[in-house]
Amino acid sequence: MALDEYDVDATELLETYDFLMKYIIIGEAGTGKSCLLHHFTHNAFKDHSQHTIGVEFSSKTVTLGEKRIKLQLWDTAGQERFRSVTRSYYRGAAGVILVYDITNRDSFLNMSQWLTDARALASPHLVAVLVGNKSDREEDREVEWAEASRWAAQNDVHFLEASSLSGDNIEAPFLLAARSILLSIESGILDPEKPGSGVSYGDRALRRVTSSSHLSFGSLSGARRRRSDRLRFKNWAPSGKCC
Amino acid sequence: MSVQARSPVPPPSSLSVPSRNAGTPASASQTRNPITIRLRKILGTNFTDEATTEALQTLSELYGTQSTVSVSDSKAQTNGTDSDDNWSDEDVDVGLAVQDDSACLNETASRARKNLRRDLENKLAQGSQQFLQAFSEVDQKLDELQNHVAAMRVACDEAETQLRLSSEASQSLLDRAESLRSEREEVETRKSIVMLFLNRFTLSDEEAEAITSRDVPIGPRFFEAMNKTERIRNDCRVLMSGEDGPTKAGLDIMVSTSSYLEQGYEKIYRWCSFQFRQMGRDAQLEVDSTMQQAISRLSQRPELLSEALTFLTQTRQTGLLSAFLDALTRGGPSGLPRPIELHAHDPIRYVGDMLAWVHQAIAAECEFLESLFGLGGQNDDSKARRMVGAVRTFKGSEEEGWVKELLNSAVTKLCVPLKVRVQQTVRSQESSIVSYKVANLLQYYMLTMRRTIGEDALLSTTLSEITDVSYKVFFDAIEAHGRALLRIPLDSDDPSLTPPLPILEHAQLLREIMQVYDSSLLDDTTAEPGQTFNRILDVMLDPAMEMCAAAAEEKARYRPQWDRAVFVLNCWCYLQNVLEAFEFTSEKRHTIQEKIDERVKSLEDEHYENILRDASLYDTVTIIKSKTPSDPLSHVLPAQKLQPTLARFSLWLSSPEVVHSPRLSALTSPSLHSTIHRVSLARVTKAYAQLCEEVRKPENRYEAASTLLGMERPFGQAGVLWAIFGLEEESEESAAD
Repeated sequence: MALDEYDVDATELLETYDFLMKYIIIGEAGTGKSCLLHHFTHNAFKDHSQHTIGVEFSSKTVTLGEKRIKLQLWDTAGQERFRSVTRSYYRGAAGVILVYDITNRDSFLNMSQWLTDARALASPHLVAVLVGNKSDREEDREVEWAEASRWAAQNDVHFLEASSLSGDNIEAPFLLAARSILLSIESGILDPEKPGSGVSYGDRALRRVTSSSHLSFGSLSGARRRRSDRLRFKNWAPSGKCC
Repeated sequence: MSVQARSPVPPPSSLSVPSRNAGTPASASQTRNPITIRLRKILGTNFTDEATTEALQTLSELYGTQSTVSVSDSKAQTNGTDSDDNWSDEDVDVGLAVQDDSACLNETASRARKNLRRDLENKLAQGSQQFLQAFSEVDQKLDELQNHVAAMRVACDEAETQLRLSSEASQSLLDRAESLRSEREEVETRKSIVMLFLNRFTLSDEEAEAITSRDVPIGPRFFEAMNKTERIRNDCRVLMSGEDGPTKAGLDIMVSTSSYLEQGYEKIYRWCSFQFRQMGRDAQLEVDSTMQQAISRLSQRPELLSEALTFLTQTRQTGLLSAFLDALTRGGPSGLPRPIELHAHDPIRYVGDMLAWVHQAIAAECEFLESLFGLGGQNDDSKARRMVGAVRTFKGSEEEGWVKELLNSAVTKLCVPLKVRVQQTVRSQESSIVSYKVANLLQYYMLTMRRTIGEDALLSTTLSEITDVSYKVFFDAIEAHGRALLRIPLDSDDPSLTPPLPILEHAQLLREIMQVYDSSLLDDTTAEPGQTFNRILDVMLDPAMEMCAAAAEEKARYRPQWDRAVFVLNCWCYLQNVLEAFEFTSEKRHTIQEKIDERVKSLEDEHYENILRDASLYDTVTIIKSKTPSDPLSHVLPAQKLQPTLARFSLWLSSPEVVHSPRLSALTSPSLHSTIHRVSLARVTKAYAQLCEEVRKPENRYEAASTLLGMERPFGQAGVLWAIFGLEEESEESAAD
């Protein structure tokens, strides 16, 4: 008994996780990828952000239902000159966060190219989330929510708007991608045991696997219901019709 | 008062007595008389109380027994009671009281009255006698009792003595018992102290088992026992450092605990080594708390730790190597993502993919190692760190040292396959632009890795090596290109003066290289812009410029008609123009400008002479310059010879060449064309002005000098000539230059 308690404590202490997922964050320069990530990992807006040089790395552990998921986040430079470098990091990513700026129409129009690139270079079951950043600047909006949502539905990606300034919806894209990936694992499309899938089991999940033969995700659906009222996106399922 | 209370009749109060006797005349006057008082008292006595009744009853019984008289006597007595006489006290009263009784009664009464005293005395004596007898009996009994008491006392004394004796005798026993008890208590205390001591300074069997036994896994129980061992040693050390110096027990404890401790560390070491051997298989690693604690404990024994970590290093090295080779040759599950080597034909992508893979592997490895040493998230609240971009500062703690070293050694084995592949790719590149791109990419990663794993790490040095190699390959390529350019002769049949095709191609290459540099991956802030690029510019441009000049010289030898100077200027200007778009080339542009200026100068001279010739002033100007001051000019150059010259000059002034030089129009730069032409025209004007001045001078002995000059345009006036050429008149000072 004492041992079990000890284990529980250690779990909290060390941030063990069930799954490890690799994400890549892409999009045109100046759309706020680094700020979005910074707000997500540090829970604060990043002032006076410089252009990212090449690729930057950070990690964060999130909780989704009963699952603890460690995210390895690769933040890429949006500038054209780094394209050759950043493309190399798509390899083996399980999730991609496509970021555009709702006040900059060009950044949205280029999304198709970015998505094609990502689908071509990353793992085949790549989960993509389209994020319209800078949702706090409604007055300068150049890309309508409906338009982006339609594009997302056509291209089979999740969509939502967020603000790296106000922190509105800041965790949602990462959790959304994680949930999709978990569902893929559950349905057997993704196998975390194979290298290059961008997902792998953590120690906690492995322990659970050995203790019970069946991996249960029962908590997931509950968590989704709980979350859905908090998130702002209506077009939850990628195949859903847009209003 | 109790007598009154007991009376059956209502008791006559003391107040009723005087009221009853109120009729007595004597009472009123003689209240103080003692006799009165006595009388009153007697009168006041109540005989109805029980005591009196009893006494009278007894009296009547005394006499009643003698005769019937006694009955009448008693009757008399009852009668007497009715009267208020007090015969029991005074005979007189009695006599008075019974006086009135009958005769029979009188006899008895009188006898009784006579004998009463005696009878009473007899009775009294008799009673006393009886008392005496009774008391003597009692006395006797008391004597007996006394004897008994005495006997008892003796016995008691005896017993007491006995008791005292026995008590004295038992005293020693009691003392003994007392001392034994205290001794026992002391022993108990000592026992508990010893127990505490043992608890504190020795390991229980269970704990010893936890440390030594192979069956007990590394875990909380084991760590607890280790903690205790450590604590014992610390406590013991404190105790032994006292004034008494080390005790034997202390030494024993130190010896035994140190053996346990060593066994414990040995056990951790074995466990860690075992665990580390397992760690090579997974690409992503996680550290549990037991492992973390084991490592932090083992850091107390650096030699064991480093030995254990060598296993980790080995497994990680082989693990990473095989993962790298898998990624290179096999790709992800079911071949997706594709193996990196599939893109070997695209050198940028191939090299970039490999380096990105290594970079990501390092990030994961670094996280793993930091959590192994418990460093993760320590410095940062949000547990998110930047690995790239932000320069990692190793604060030099022991753990960070380990992390750095392990990270270095874990990726060591990646260096060889990486180096081989990159070098192969770089060497096989024919396009210098691609080699330049690869070199740039390598340099970017070199700087990234330096920031991540330090400059001394093998991977950093390897990257720096292959970066140097790729730069060398690039420079070799462009140097070879330059050398090849030098060997190319110009097409001698081509009359055109524009830059030849090889130069255009060369310039295009340069342009591309500059574009790559401009969009360089490197941080602009690090180096001074252009500083690093100057060498490339030198290597690229110097041979090109040299080639233009040399080849033009060569061609001019066969074709003197061909305008060499204009051609060189055209080429150089073209090259300079290529640089124009990029800011970082300013230095090189400047040096080129200097060379161009030189060439322009000579072209200006040439052009000036050409104009003088065309304007037929050449000979005249030469004569003026070469003449001796003593000789008048008119002797060397007579007026009739000068006059047609001036006429021809006037004619030339009407030709279009004044405005536009056909020769210079071949110059690609219009500004250069007009500058050179204007400068030459200005010099012509100055030469004309000098001519006029000479002609007008009296010592040159021209007749009608002004007429001679005024016959033809510009009528001997330099100002007019300035106007014709459309130039601003230059001041004398600047003209003298």
